[in-house]
Amino acid sequence: MGQALIEQRSFWRSAEYALFTFVFPLMILLLIGAANVGSYLPGTHIKNTTVFVPGILAFGVIVAAYVNLGSKVAVLRHDGVLKRIKTTPLPSGAYLGGLLASTVATAILLTAGTGLIGWLAFGAAPRPGGLLVLAAGLVLGIVCFASLGLAISSVITSAESAGPVTYASFLPIAIISGVFDPTFGGLPPWLSHLVDLFPVKSLAQVLQNAYAVRPFPAWDLANLALWTAAGATFAVWRFRWHS
Amino acid sequence: MTDGAAVQVRDLRMSYGATQVLCGVDFEVSYGEVFCLLGPNGAGKTTTLEILEGFRRPTAGTVRVLGLDPAAQPARLRERAGMVLQECGFPRQARVAELIDLWRTYYPNPRPLGDLLEVVELTEARNTQVRKLSAGQRRRLDFALALAGDPDLVFLDEPTTGFDPEARRRCWAAIENLRRLGKTVLLTTHYLDEAERLADRIAILRSGRIELSGTTQEVAVLGGLATRISFTTPAALRRGQIPLPDGIDLSVCGSESVCHSGNPGMTLRLLLDWALRHGLGDLDGLAVTAPSLEDTYLQLTAAGAGLSRDNGDRP
Repeated sequence: MGQALIEQRSFWRSAEYALFTFVFPLMILLLIGAANVGSYLPGTHIKNTTVFVPGILAFGVIVAAYVNLGSKVAVLRHDGVLKRIKTTPLPSGAYLGGLLASTVATAILLTAGTGLIGWLAFGAAPRPGGLLVLAAGLVLGIVCFASLGLAISSVITSAESAGPVTYASFLPIAIISGVFDPTFGGLPPWLSHLVDLFPVKSLAQVLQNAYAVRPFPAWDLANLALWTAAGATFAVWRFRWHS
Repeated sequence: MTDGAAVQVRDLRMSYGATQVLCGVDFEVSYGEVFCLLGPNGAGKTTTLEILEGFRRPTAGTVRVLGLDPAAQPARLRERAGMVLQECGFPRQARVAELIDLWRTYYPNPRPLGDLLEVVELTEARNTQVRKLSAGQRRRLDFALALAGDPDLVFLDEPTTGFDPEARRRCWAAIENLRRLGKTVLLTTHYLDEAERLADRIAILRSGRIELSGTTQEVAVLGGLATRISFTTPAALRRGQIPLPDGIDLSVCGSESVCHSGNPGMTLRLLLDWALRHGLGDLDGLAVTAPSLEDTYLQLTAAGAGLSRDNGDRP
């Protein structure tokens, strides 16, 4: 627990992390959200923003859990901090647990901020019957992308490439998953099917279900669980304390 | 802990695949002693240290550190042994005192912060961001973190490699402070002057074997090097008016005459008899120089780099 607080303090002290993790998603929320005000999804009475805000929620979860944790662990590994921790009697589990707890706290703060701003600025709120799906989606999303973040940290070859690699490995998928544009479409069918397989789209759809009534996202929840298992397995298999 | 030695290493062997890195290393480090593993790069110093620190499991041999088996009881060892690895970074946002304080929370009986800052001479830099420290200051912060748990034993792996003279001097001062605190120190280095200056005892490691060990003087003598005897070449000798002494391999190099001997007493007696017979008196400028650690080390490592590597003979 102490370790988690220390990690949070160091997170907030790093302008770079705090800016990219918090300011970036909230800025996108406000800017693109403003452009969607007053529009409805084609052929429905669902406001664009009702689908857009949960999309940005998913984006925030991914930035906090995947980008943030993945690049942080890669940097700690390449700087030799993980190796130094191994010279102390602190149990490895306590240290990694602290990192994960700090990641969860960051994700919850960012999610709460996004949800609140989405509600205040655009009137987008989860539907009363969707709270359970929202909670399930957030928990599973954080766990899934944290495990994928740990997994990708093991394939990052330098501290400098940590940020670029984590962002570049999900941002294109997020864009073609329609996270930033509720009306996004026109993909060739093969690409559309391919995107469905990634956890980015699944998380967005689960959270969108909590805001606007859509079919129950059973496939998406299962898909997230599958990616969690794959990410965690790879992360455990490849985890190294030194570069 | 009454087993006598802080570190005991018996017939330690380590292979990576077909490559033998350690081929039967033996040594002991007593409590309160500063012990130095000296050797060229690639001799196996770091591998030995990593085994003692519990980071690697040896292929064969026994190792006891503070009475513990490092590979089997790493957590207990780390409560009582501080480790300074060769290259190890710090969290990017940390400040000096804050980082030391964090490290203190990892140990059951930490040393006071002010005390740690003083030992490594970082009191003035206590609020400095770690990334703004010089290389020498960073290394001293390494020491402070390794000392945070008030360990009985400290491992230092090449503590001053690549430092400028001033940084080295301050680093040495910090190591002297460790000695004063009664810590047992095991350090590795490929710098001879560092070993000579800091260590109570030295072991020279080459190609995975301890070639020699003992105090500085013992190592020099054990190296089997000859004592150097020199004197000012007498005018009569230079002009060829008198013969060279019998039984001594004397070389006349202009104004100086030099010979080397494994038995300097005998050689001196022969030399002075010869001088007496030829009316040279007590030989001007007579000097007897004991073999130095440097001579021993250079001879050993030169042999390592040379042709005798394969047969494993001592030089």
